[in-house]
Amino acid sequence: MTNDSYSSKIDIRARERALKILYEKFYDVLKDVSEGRPPKLVIKKRTLGNTIYDAERKLLLLGDATFERSLLDLREARKFMQTLLMAGIIYEALSNGEYPTIRDLYYRGKHTIRYRKLPTKSIGEENTWEEQAESDSVLRDIEVFSNVLREEMLILSKEKGKVVGDLKIRSGDDIIDLSKMGHGAYSIEPTPDLIDFVEVNAELVLVIEKDAVFQQLHRIGFWKKYRAILITSAGQPDRATRRFVRRLNEELGLPVYVISDSDPYGYYIYSVFKTGSITLSYESERLATPHARFLGVMMTDIFGSTKLGKKPYLTEEERRNFIIRAKERDIKRARELKEYPWFKSERWQIELNEFLDRKVKLEIEALAGKGLKFLADKYVPEKIEVGDWIE
Amino acid sequence: MAVVEESFKSISPAEFFYKNKEIAGFSNPARALYQTIRELVENSLDATENHGILPTVKVSIRELDVVPEGAYYEVVVEDNGVGIPPKYVPQAFAQLLFSSKYVLRQSRGMFGLGAKMAVLYAQITTGYPAEVIVAPIKSKHIYSFKLKIDIRENKPVILNFTTTSNILGKHGTTVRLITLGDWARSKQRIYEYIKRTAIIAPYAEILFRDPDSNYLLFERTIDKLPPPARETLPHPHGVDIETMKSILKSLADRPILESLVESFQGIGVMTAQRILAEAGIKQEKKSGELTDPEVEALVRVMRSFKDIKPPRADHLSYLGEEIIVAGLKKAFEPEFATAITRKPSVFEGHAFIVEVGIAYGGKVPVVEKPLVLRYANKIPLLYDEGSDVVFKVLDEKKGIDFKVYEIEFPSPLVILTHICSTKIPYRGVGKEAVADIPEIEEEVESALREALRELRSYILKKRKELEEIEKAVAIAKYIPEIANSLSKMYKVDPQEISVKLLELLNSRLKSFKIPSLSSVVV
Repeated sequence: MTNDSYSSKIDIRARERALKILYEKFYDVLKDVSEGRPPKLVIKKRTLGNTIYDAERKLLLLGDATFERSLLDLREARKFMQTLLMAGIIYEALSNGEYPTIRDLYYRGKHTIRYRKLPTKSIGEENTWEEQAESDSVLRDIEVFSNVLREEMLILSKEKGKVVGDLKIRSGDDIIDLSKMGHGAYSIEPTPDLIDFVEVNAELVLVIEKDAVFQQLHRIGFWKKYRAILITSAGQPDRATRRFVRRLNEELGLPVYVISDSDPYGYYIYSVFKTGSITLSYESERLATPHARFLGVMMTDIFGSTKLGKKPYLTEEERRNFIIRAKERDIKRARELKEYPWFKSERWQIELNEFLDRKVKLEIEALAGKGLKFLADKYVPEKIEVGDWIE
Repeated sequence: MAVVEESFKSISPAEFFYKNKEIAGFSNPARALYQTIRELVENSLDATENHGILPTVKVSIRELDVVPEGAYYEVVVEDNGVGIPPKYVPQAFAQLLFSSKYVLRQSRGMFGLGAKMAVLYAQITTGYPAEVIVAPIKSKHIYSFKLKIDIRENKPVILNFTTTSNILGKHGTTVRLITLGDWARSKQRIYEYIKRTAIIAPYAEILFRDPDSNYLLFERTIDKLPPPARETLPHPHGVDIETMKSILKSLADRPILESLVESFQGIGVMTAQRILAEAGIKQEKKSGELTDPEVEALVRVMRSFKDIKPPRADHLSYLGEEIIVAGLKKAFEPEFATAITRKPSVFEGHAFIVEVGIAYGGKVPVVEKPLVLRYANKIPLLYDEGSDVVFKVLDEKKGIDFKVYEIEFPSPLVILTHICSTKIPYRGVGKEAVADIPEIEEEVESALREALRELRSYILKKRKELEEIEKAVAIAKYIPEIANSLSKMYKVDPQEISVKLLELLNSRLKSFKIPSLSSVVV
């Protein structure tokens, strides 16, 4: 382990744990081969059919259905090879004290297999994998198979999420004060589990889908005024941001409010924070924040609701200026959302029906456009105060 | 129908044949050279294999003098056959004859008629006599003749006759003609004929020397001969008025009852009595005294008479599956060849046997439509194939669908068909196509389907094996990757893991084993 002397102790411990688990999990393959049995891996299926919504825990979880990936099965042989190839690369990277990204893993494993086609003996060429989608896919299989997430194997990804607030953390061997980031913000590291919360002085977490709106709220000091930890996922949240939010909620007991665009894609981003995503359902247990609250932007914020006794935040004229006509794919997506079990609550059905009736959408920026002060000092605090969120 | 001379009795047809030479295939110098080769080669094969002798036939064509119509060629055909008895040689080669009695026998040639035409044509075009050298089996002498035909009198003229001692104990017949021909225009046809003949007669050794001094040797690849063709009497169902009249004329003094019993197969005294009763003819009546209406009635009753055995087929000379396969293998070195010889069947009172061979792969040319080699009584049929019964069976729209047999064209497929019978129902005078008689068509189709089913099984088996090989390679190529990964994780010897994985893979394969990883992974 060449870089040991400069690596943090937390990383070293994480490496040792991941190495041990991988060694044990793949040992059966070696045993099968030594004892003359066809080697195989039994892996949980990562399909929509094997994605289960646990209504009680409000989580999207991976079901128990499994499949066998055997070398001697022609349909699975290539994937079997790729899985072993990936396991070997990760194992080696962990042993060497490295921090590969998923792109690195892709390049490290990619090479050409040259073989003779029989009976013609003409030379065939095949790449171990063609696109990163292939190597990413087997990485997910290894996560599911070994029950170790990529962060725990010290595989890095691009940092996307940002955070500011009155919070001190330990990252590696350093203490960082997230209230002293100037105009910038702290990038949530790809291994948020290796962060320690040192000191907290906040009452709530506000997650903003849009980076630009996050910056605006940061610059006018929203987080100081309302004792908030301000986070942006800059679009679809990455795993680190989700895990970080989950830990704030779970370990510090802070309520989490999410603000996204008012359209099916925005609503789904919220649901990813809350219940997990379909493609990564095996991580929900660790990444999802079941108590996250959807603060807005709601359809009923735009149009009001007689049923809920709610007045609109926008005037007739503002609506005319700010709302955008929904596209065909937005409508199709909304219909899909309506059928997901975790959108089946009465409150969500009201929002989705309103969307499908009006066939319009609204971006968060439009609220900032009405006035940043409106957003920071009226819309957000008022909705939190009166409890106008969806659980 | 072949006409066999029993007692030799000459009429005067030489002039007639000369004037109508195109009927016999001698219409121009190119056709004549081809026809001459054909007639002589077919006589040679009949003179050998019908008598249990493995044929060795030497054919030579040399150009002598160029003339405006073509050139004079010396044609020599030599065989190791039984050898014609010297006393018959003049008539056999220089007198056109009709027979006195009708019997039937499957044969290639027209019983010497063709050879006589060749002699006649040579004599007329070049003026040279025919030279015939014969050595019958066990003959102490070799007899040489120089013969001409007296066309007007239809009599053989012996110009020269010599006898030499047969020291080497040879037997066979050699015919040497100097004839007008056109090699350039008949070359392709003659080569095709020789090659096709060699395919169907792998038991023959054939040496061919062409006028350009090219030698072509077809070696014998099988020592088995087809059963010899034997003579048989006509069957009542196949008789026609002309044949009947000839028979009655030759037996004019005999009672009609006796004539029927003697001249036809399947007719005993009882049956003859019933036939005559039905035709309203007194059984004692002399054969020569039947009136035309009586002959017509007799033929009508005989042709449709039910209570009679079907024609015998044991006199037919079929090739058999072994010889056909040997011929196809010799010519095409295919990866698969099979043949079907059907049981005898009957059309219009004539027994016939259909045989089909197919060869697939190897050196068989890849073709858009199956390559078809047609034969009738072991003679290759080279032309007019579109109107042949075989092509009706192969018709693209209504005929056999090859996809059913897993064959998608272009494909390396050759089909050989052989029809043997005492009467081949040719279409037209060219004798290059067999008419689509329903009974024959049905047999050709059944034989072909039977052979194609065997091919299909072979193709499916091979495909399965190929699939297994592909599967084995698809998996084996990953073995080094897996061994490497396991060695990274567990510090094991990758070589050892590879060997174990290959063993494991091989143990699951049925038709194929990968000898070593290095034979797959480069």
